[in-house]
Parts: sequence; structure tokens; C-alpha cells
Amino acid sequence: MFDRATAIDENFVRRVSVGDFPASALHNHPQISVSPDVLVDLFDSQIMSRHLDLWARRSKGKTFYSIGSSGHEGVAAMAHATRSTDMAFLHYRDGAFLIQRKKQFGGLTPLYDMALSFAASAEDPISGGRHKVLGCAQTFVPPQTSTIASHLPKAVGTAHSIGLAARQQLVDRQMPDDAIVIASFGDASANHSTAQGAFNAAAWTAYQKLPMPIVFLCEDNGIGISVRTPAGWIEANFSQRPAINYISCDGGDLIDAIRGCEEAVAIARARRKPVFLHMRTVRLMGHAGADVEASYSSIAAIETGEQQDPLLHTARILCERAGMTGEEIVARYEQMRRRVDAVTAEALTKPRLETAADIMAPIVPEASAKLAPALPDAAARKMLFAKDERNIAKPVTLAKSINFALADLMLQYPQIALFGEDIARKGGVYGVTQGLQEKFGQGRVFDTLLDEQTILGLAIGMGHNGFVPIPEIQFLAYLHNAEDQIRGEAATLSFFSNKQFRNPMVVRIAGLPYQKGFGGHFHNDNSLAVLTDIPGIIVAVPSCAADAPAMLRECVRLAHADGRVAVFVEPIALYHTTDLGAGGDGGWTAPYLAPGDASSIAFGELGVHGDGTDLAIVTYGNGHFLSRQVEPAIRTSGVNLRIIDLRWLHPLPEQAILQAVAGCKSLLIVDESRRSGSISEKLMTVLAEAGLADRTSRITAEDCFIPLGPAAELVLPSKDDILAAALKAAGKA
Amino acid sequence: MSKKRALIVCPGRGTYNASELGYLAIHHGGGGAPVAMLNNMRKALGQLTIGELDGAEKFSPSTHLRGDNASLLIYACAMADFAAIDRDRYEIVAVTGNSMGWYLALAAADVLDFAGGAQLVNNMGALMHSEGAGGQVVWSLVDDDWCIDAQRLSVVQDILAQANARSDLSVHVSIRLGGMIVFAADEPGLKWLMDVLPKEDRFPMRLSQHAAFHSEIVAPLIARAQAKNAPDNFGTSSVALVDGTGRVWNPSAFSRDALYEYTLGAQISRTYDFTRAVQVAAAEFAPDVIICLGPGSTLGAPIAQSLIQSGWKGLSGKKDFQARQLQEPLLISMGMSDQRSSAVARL
Repeated sequence: MFDRATAIDENFVRRVSVGDFPASALHNHPQISVSPDVLVDLFDSQIMSRHLDLWARRSKGKTFYSIGSSGHEGVAAMAHATRSTDMAFLHYRDGAFLIQRKKQFGGLTPLYDMALSFAASAEDPISGGRHKVLGCAQTFVPPQTSTIASHLPKAVGTAHSIGLAARQQLVDRQMPDDAIVIASFGDASANHSTAQGAFNAAAWTAYQKLPMPIVFLCEDNGIGISVRTPAGWIEANFSQRPAINYISCDGGDLIDAIRGCEEAVAIARARRKPVFLHMRTVRLMGHAGADVEASYSSIAAIETGEQQDPLLHTARILCERAGMTGEEIVARYEQMRRRVDAVTAEALTKPRLETAADIMAPIVPEASAKLAPALPDAAARKMLFAKDERNIAKPVTLAKSINFALADLMLQYPQIALFGEDIARKGGVYGVTQGLQEKFGQGRVFDTLLDEQTILGLAIGMGHNGFVPIPEIQFLAYLHNAEDQIRGEAATLSFFSNKQFRNPMVVRIAGLPYQKGFGGHFHNDNSLAVLTDIPGIIVAVPSCAADAPAMLRECVRLAHADGRVAVFVEPIALYHTTDLGAGGDGGWTAPYLAPGDASSIAFGELGVHGDGTDLAIVTYGNGHFLSRQVEPAIRTSGVNLRIIDLRWLHPLPEQAILQAVAGCKSLLIVDESRRSGSISEKLMTVLAEAGLADRTSRITAEDCFIPLGPAAELVLPSKDDILAAALKAAGKA
Repeated sequence: MSKKRALIVCPGRGTYNASELGYLAIHHGGGGAPVAMLNNMRKALGQLTIGELDGAEKFSPSTHLRGDNASLLIYACAMADFAAIDRDRYEIVAVTGNSMGWYLALAAADVLDFAGGAQLVNNMGALMHSEGAGGQVVWSLVDDDWCIDAQRLSVVQDILAQANARSDLSVHVSIRLGGMIVFAADEPGLKWLMDVLPKEDRFPMRLSQHAAFHSEIVAPLIARAQAKNAPDNFGTSSVALVDGTGRVWNPSAFSRDALYEYTLGAQISRTYDFTRAVQVAAAEFAPDVIICLGPGSTLGAPIAQSLIQSGWKGLSGKKDFQARQLQEPLLISMGMSDQRSSAVARL
């Protein structure tokens, strides 16, 4: 008997009809009073979710994502215990939660919406047919696609944002000051390092008596696909964590589930503390539609689980507490079946996405006409820069220009919060954020723990709640262990929510090679490939003090107005560079101008130096600096050139590049990143597709990691390399 | 043959007009015992009886359209229609209504028994007639094919924004009624609306003898309404109800206090979103057919327009709707003599 869906369905009807219920392991909490109408309402959500699962199993080829919620229907109790403004980041088995929450909100169509979602219909109100996600714009449920608990860091971030937003009385805040956050996941994914990082970050925060109003809802069905969770593991792992309250409940028993959820929510809401709610569940019908559970579990074990079907327990409870008969319960169950059948049949007639353009439409969030806050007046700026009076009058380095620009932006935008490792008291390992905490306080500029997933998760969460976060990743190499927070989470939100949710941010990352003082691979990482293939995000690389403030302002504008996710990669080696040539010429510094006086640099606008047509060097970051350094030598050789600083690496401003190189006899790409996977490959492609392959060449870093000390220079393009390549390209070699 | 899934829509005020005179007599033999009960109730209150109103020789707008007369007259007709639906052919899966039709829906769904429903309807009709301030103005939002016209929608938004900025008048959205919008306003607001709303066909149309229902203008009557209508009459329902916010109240799965609070609270003083109610009911219960109770048939267009807006069963516009009605009706208006036979039990 491998058709477990039918077996479970028939068992329910048969057993309830004759009053054959599983016994309560908890003596049914006679002291806990729950109104009968609440129980019936929750039962309705449970059976609606169940019938949707049964339908999905019967509808192969018509529905496309068969990981069901069966056995986990007890989570409807969490929707009952929370408010529609308590943001919920849901486990993929939480259909009953979403149904219940949408019912409570009213005026929504949870059954029809879920059917559209299963059917990947373009009319699915949350993702528009892009994925079977559990989400709802009206009830604070951002859609999740994660099967690996990668939604937990942003849940922690959102929880942290509530207190920050309340303290600052942030005008744009989305959640009430007493809201809490729900983050649910399975027992298997609780082991994931991302999840563990989130628990740790919540504990680290709460341990310091800072607010962390979150309920981690661990739905423990005892198995992850085919691997059993060791008996007692979840309790052993989580019951003694510092600063996290542990509560357990039986998700199979609705009364106990309500008890556990209400206790957990009460603590999180009133005490602003994190709670780990360990809800025991069963997994019915295997992991997913394609999973043959019998290949790794015995029939006896499968049937033992099915005997604890939460719907049977709820039926028992309805008999005991709502005065319903088995016949009435079965009638309700069958009536719901007919309703689900009718509604799902309707949903299947709805159109699916039909073109790539339709599918891609929400990758970039909706551009809005939202205006930036007014520029601060001169008096406010004078006060802000009182201690910098002497420095701000002089030409500044890249690092200082970013520092001043951040200060001006924070003065202008109360929504901005700055955070990262060592950025507050120390002012960053390179001093880029020096003095900002003093200027704006601990609420807006703060140090985090050493965990990049937490930093990026915090950015996403704060973005959900009205902030424009500017997180810092201390070194580019540290991004890699956390990149999924951008790739899988931040970048996908607009796409999977059909533009209904946004998580704006400007991620500052110190990176790229050529550092003299602090060598080695980790501090000289030159791989940007991990960012430049992600649809929808923006990657900017300023190369000098003349550009960085305007580019940073543009990134913040795009984040604030349009909800964009921007990554601002700052070349460490140029942070404190002052001279272009020898002898203290100050050629790599620039005056810092007030935002109202400075020129702007639009998204996609290139920096073009010179107008020669013998050669165009296309480059960015350190490559721009080095190319400018060898420019006099190239010119001396009789090559009239132009140097093009890309500034915006992703999406690549292709048309602007083609215009900028138009009429040039030869083109040289100088890329400090590796030969494989670097932006140079994209540039070669773009130029080749434009018919310019025959005049284009490139020099890049070697396909190598960066070694320590002077050896680093052997694998990176040097000035001599650029000179030689330029002359060769121009036919002068 | 399996029964057809039917959504029931209960009519609101303004559905018993000259052409409906004698509705009870013609379709229900005068209404039998239930109407006799209503007549006794009204006699005791010194009001014209339902029999007298329905059996009048001539339709008198000043009599028949008065809130304290029209409300219970419509109730009697609609409840008689509801009872006449052929239950062998139709499974009633949900009930909704428009405006006063919400009270009728409560009775149809057995939240209130027949007498309790009558009491509520009569009380509210009388209260709104004697004390309801302001009035209603209807305006159309749709083009000839019943699709929402973006320009008209922006006119409405602009008007509401203007009204909101003024302290000398009060204008609100009273009912979202498919392709129409019903404004509720105080007297200065009504005059202003009739002046500023672009004129086309019969719109803007001021509704005779209607107060500023579903707006804060009548909010002061909530306490009176609650005092006159005790919560004890409210029970659970026998079928799902969809209210004027699109919320679904499932049998035995709601608090009677909450339903009472809504009915004699927000329902009175907040926008009645009939459009959403119809859309939610259609989406969540997937009826094969929608049966709109009589009297009258004025609710048919708003129902169809609501469904066109949500693309229910792929409906694209008026022409499409009319073509489908000819094939196999999606909507049966019991107030239309050629359609009611599809709904009632065959004798």
C-alpha cells in the first residue's frame, strides 16, 4: 500500500465515523479553556490545508510543487495566537498557518490563492505564478522559498528592527512597536549553519538585554527527507541555550499546540525575548510527491505516524469540547473536500506565465516616485562636521570621501542605519566609518557580532521594516560564507513576491587586491563573480574620491526610492591613496563637496577620461588607478587614448560601454579579477557581439588565489603589464 | 445528478419598486404564515402591514420607499424567494448580501430566525428612516462593457481627496457596488457631489429616502441600534456567510459576539464592500451559479461587474457575460420572471 494519501484520507473518515480516536498523550489539558468556535475554525483551516495536499497529490502534471503540510496542521494554532502584523517567515509545511492567518484578517481568499499557487497560475496573488511560496502582502508574510532555513537570519533582523524603529520613532516603520516575529522551520534544517547562526545571533542580542521579540517555531517531525533526527536531539540542543526560552508542545494536539503557541507569543510580546518553541509534529505522505517513503521506512513505522494524524486528534477534541459527533465532523470534512475540489478546478483554468518577459518583470522592484528627504541645511551640516572642519576643506582620499558621504546621507535620511563588524567604536578597520557613531548614536551606527549571515540577514530584516540599511562586510572574502543571504534571499524577494515586498539595502564591502599593508588571500580577495550573476542587484565599484560620494548617494537613492539591493565594493588599496604619480601630487584625492553642490553620477553612467581614439582601456577599481598611472607613458609612445572607468559592474551598462568605445581603433580590458569568471569575460562577450572582437584584448589576474607579500603582484596585472598590453593593442609594441 | 453549488445574494434597499408591486401575491400567494407573522408584528407597532404594502393598488414612492416600510417588505419577498429555491437541485454553499441585504443574509443563514431577522430589519429600517442623517449618491465607474474605467476611478479618488481636505462637508465611500460607487454624504456633501460629479446617463443619482449608510455620519446611531437589537437573537449559522468586508463566517466557527459587534458596529459605520463580498464568495466557494433573491433585479449588474473585475470564470465584460447567460446562466435573478423558474422548485 504505497498510496499513503488515500490511506490517510480513508483512515480519517473511517476512524472518525466510529469514534476511533488516538488517545491524547497529554490528558487533553482539562484546565485549558478554548472556545469551541475557535476549535472548529482551526479545524476548518487544518482540513482545508489537508484537502489541498490531497488534491495536489492527485493532480500531478497540473500542480508543480508537492511538498505538503500534512501532519503539520497544528501550526494553525500559531496563526491563532498571533496578529496579522506579526511578521511571519514560514516553513514550507505551514499551509495551515497561512490559511488561518488570512481567514482571521478577512476579505482575503486563502483557499483560492493556495490553489492558484499550487497550479503556478499567473494570478497567484503572491508570486504571480513564479513559485509555490507561502506569503501574503496584506498579512505580513513575506514569501519564502528556502528549504534550508536561510530565512532565519532575516527573521532575527526583522525582530531586531522593531525595537530600533520604535526607539527612533522611524516614520517609515511597517510594524507596530509591540509586534513580534515568527520564524518556522523543520527539525532537520535546525542543524543548518545558517539556522544555528540565527539562533546564536538572537541569543547574543538577548543576552545583552537588547530586545529580540522572536518565536523560533521548530516543527519537529523527526525526519529530514530520509534521515532520522536523533531522538531527543532538538530538546537537547535547544533547551539550554543562553537567553533563549525553550517551550515544547505537541502540534498533533490542538489544545496543547494552542497552549504552547500562546505561551511563546506571550513571552516574545511582553518580555521582548526570543523563544524556541519546539512543536512535535508528524510527517505524513512522505517528504514530497516524488519521495517513496517506503524505500527507507517500514510500513509499520509509516502507519504508526499516520495513527497520530493531527486531524484525528482535532476530531477527538471537537467531540470532547465542541459537542460535535463523528458524523458531523466527517460531514464537515467531506463538505470541505467538495469545496476544495470546486475551487481547485477553477484555479486550474487560470493562465500561467507565458513569456520570459512576463516571468522576469518583477526581478527589479518597482521604481517609485518616492522623493529623497530634503537636503539638510548648511547649519545642520556645519554642526555635523564641526570636528572635521579642517579636513573637509582639503582634498580627501577615497576612504574619507566615503566617510563624509555617509555622514551627509545619514543626516539626510533618518532611515539609514549603519552596522557591521568593528564599524562603530573603532570606525572600521580602515577608518571609513570613523566618528559616525559619535555623530549619530548607537541606535543608528552599531557593531555586530562576527557573522556575515547575521549582518546581511539584519539588513534584509531592517529593510522589511522601513530602514535603508547600510551593512558593511569587512572583507570581500567574508561575503562568501554568507552570500546566499543576498543571492537566495534579498535578491529574490521582489521576484517571488511579484514586487509586493522589498528589502532595500546598500551593502558596503571592502575588497579587491593590491593592498600593501595587510596581505594574503582573505584581505585581497579579487573575485566578484559571486555577485555579478545575480539578477536584479546592483554592483558598484568606485575607484576614487571624486566618484565615490556621488555613486554612494545614487545607491542610497535607488535603495530608498526603488527598494534596490545595491552592493558597493570599495577598493581597499585605494582607500588612503593620495598620489597618482610620484612626489605627492595628490592626484588621487578630490575635494569633498556638499551633496547640493556636488555633481551626480547616475546609475550606469561611466567615467571617461580622455578622448583618444587609438586605444580605449576599459577598467574599474584598481585597474582604473593603475591605467591612469601608466597613461603618460602610453601617450609618450604616441598612443592617443581614453580610459573608461566602468563604475557599475552589474548590471553591465552595455550600451554606454559601446558608445564610450565607439570610434576607438583598439580596446584593452584591464581587470584585476581572475581571468575566469571575471567581468572581463562579460566585456569580451559584449564587445564581440557588437562586432569588436578583432580589436579587443584583455589582461586580468591569474586564475589563482592571492599569496602573501610581494608575491601577490605576480598574479595581478601590474603597471608594466598594462603598459605592454596597451602598446601591443595599439600596434606600438 | 449532483446538485449545483449555489451562492445566494440577498438584495438591499431600493429593490422593491413599482414593477415589484404585488411580488408576494404573484410569486408566493401572499406569503403565507411568515408574512402573516410580519403583518401582526407591524400592526402591533402601528405600521402598515406587508400585505397592505404589497397589495396596494398603486405603488407610492413616498410610502413604499420609506425605510420603515421598504426594509421589511423586501425582507418578506427575499425570504420567500429563499425558501422557494429548489434544494434538490441546488446546494447552497454560501450567502452574502448587499447593505441591508446583510441582515437578510443573517436570516437566510439561520444566524437569526425568521422573526429575529424581521425584528432587526424593521428596527434598522425605522431607525435609519427616523434618525439617519445624510444620504447616498450613486455614480458609475465602468465603461459600456462594464469594465472599470481608470479615468472615472481617478475622478473618484480626486473627489475623495478633495472632500477629505474640506471641513465644511462630509463625503465617504458608502458601498463599493461592482461597477458603481455609492457615496455617503451629509447635506452639503450631497449637494457638492451632485455638482462636481460628471454627468452621464442617469448618474450621478441621488437615492431617495436613503441615509448616509455605511459611513461615520450614521455612527452615532450604533448605540441606539445595539440597544434595540439584543445579541441574544444571534446564533450560529447553517451555511457560510460573507460580509461587507469580504470576511467569511463559517458555521460554528465564529464568535456570536463578534458577529453581533460587526453587524451592529462596523457594518453600520464603515464602507460596505459588496464587490469584495461577491468576489470572495465566488473565489472561495466556486459556486456553479449565483442566485440573487428578489425582489427586483437591480443587483444583477453589480454582481456581474464584481465578477468581471476579478475575472471569475474568465469573464471579460458585459457582452461576454450576456453571451454566457444565454448558454448556461451564471447568475439567476429571482426578481426576473424569466429567470426565477430556473431556481424554484418545480411544482
